[in-house]
Amino acid sequence: MSGLRAWMVQRVSAVYMLFFIVFLLAHFLVDPPRSYAAWRDWVMSPAIGVSASVFGAALLAHAWVGLRDVILDYVRPAALRLSLLGLLALALATLGVWFIRIVWLGHG
Amino acid sequence: MKFSIFRFNPEHDEKPCMQDYEIEPQPGEIMLLDVILRIKAMDNTLTFRKSCREGVCGSDAMNINGRNGLACITPVRGLKEPVRLRPLPSFPVIRDLVVDMTRFFKQYHSIRPYLINGEPPPEKERLQSPEDRDKLDGLYECILCGCCTSQCPSSWWNPEKFVGPAGLLQAERFIADSRDRATRDRLDDLKSAYRLFRCRTIMNCTEVCPKGLAPSRAIEKIRLMLVKESF
Repeated sequence: MSGLRAWMVQRVSAVYMLFFIVFLLAHFLVDPPRSYAAWRDWVMSPAIGVSASVFGAALLAHAWVGLRDVILDYVRPAALRLSLLGLLALALATLGVWFIRIVWLGHG
Repeated sequence: MKFSIFRFNPEHDEKPCMQDYEIEPQPGEIMLLDVILRIKAMDNTLTFRKSCREGVCGSDAMNINGRNGLACITPVRGLKEPVRLRPLPSFPVIRDLVVDMTRFFKQYHSIRPYLINGEPPPEKERLQSPEDRDKLDGLYECILCGCCTSQCPSSWWNPEKFVGPAGLLQAERFIADSRDRATRDRLDDLKSAYRLFRCRTIMNCTEVCPKGLAPSRAIEKIRLMLVKESF
C-alpha cells in the first residue's frame, strides 16, 4: 500500500469510526435496548448490520495501517518484519471472521 | 558558568565523554557561540563548526541542553547550568561537535532542489506575480542547518528512506513555485510509504527550527496536494 493510500485509509476510517461511535453512544443514551431480544433484533436489522460491518472493516483497516506504521518504523530486519506483518494480517483477518460471525450469523 | 561539552576524537578515544569547563561570560559575550569560541581559545582541541556567527549559514547547529539550535543566536545567559552541548542527535559524529551531514544532504538532493522548467527561457527572466512569490515565504528561508531533521524521530528510525523535514520543506518550496513545471513528478516521487509518509506529525521540526519555519505545515500541504491529485 502506498504511503498516500495508507494515510487516506487511516483518516477516512477514523472519521467514520468517530461518527459511528457517537451514533452508538447516542442510541444507548436515548433508546437503550430493554431486553436481550430487543438488542438482538436491533443488531440484526440490516441498517445496523451494514453500518456495523463498515465499522468493523474501518477498525481493521485502521489497525492495519497504524500497526504497520509501527512495524515499518521500528523493525528493521526484513525477515522479522515480514513475519510480524504476516502475523498482524492473520490476527486482523481472524478478528474480521469473528466479527462477521457475530454480526451476520448471530453467534460468537 | 558551567559547561559540559561532548568530546570525541576518533583518533585517540575509544568512547566519547563529556568534558566540563567553567567560564564566566564577559561583557560583549552575549551568544553561546561567543563563549564556545573563548573555550576554544583556552583548549584548542575543542572542535566545532561556525562561520557567519549570525544565524544565516547554519554551521553551528548543535544540541544545547537537549534541544537543537544555533549557538550563534542562542543567548548564553538564560541557559540552565551546566550547559550541556552535544553534536546533532542521530548524525554520525566526526569529532566533538562536528557531525557528518552527508546523509542529510543526500536526502536534500533527492527532492531535486532546483527549478525544473523545460520551456524555452524568456529573454530576461521567468516572471512571477507578487502573489505567487508570497507562496514561497516560510519556505525559501531555510538555511539547511539540520536542526529539524536531527530532532525528528521519523528520521532517526528511517534516515535512509525518509526525506526528513528539511528536505520536505524544500520539496514544498519547489512544488509551490509557480515557475516550476515538475509539480506532478515531484508529488509522485513522495507518494511511497517512506519518503514523506513516515512523518507522524510529531512536530519536533517546527518546535526547534531556529529560523521559525514550519516544516510540519509544509508536509501537511504536500499531503493535501497529493490527496487532491489522486482524485
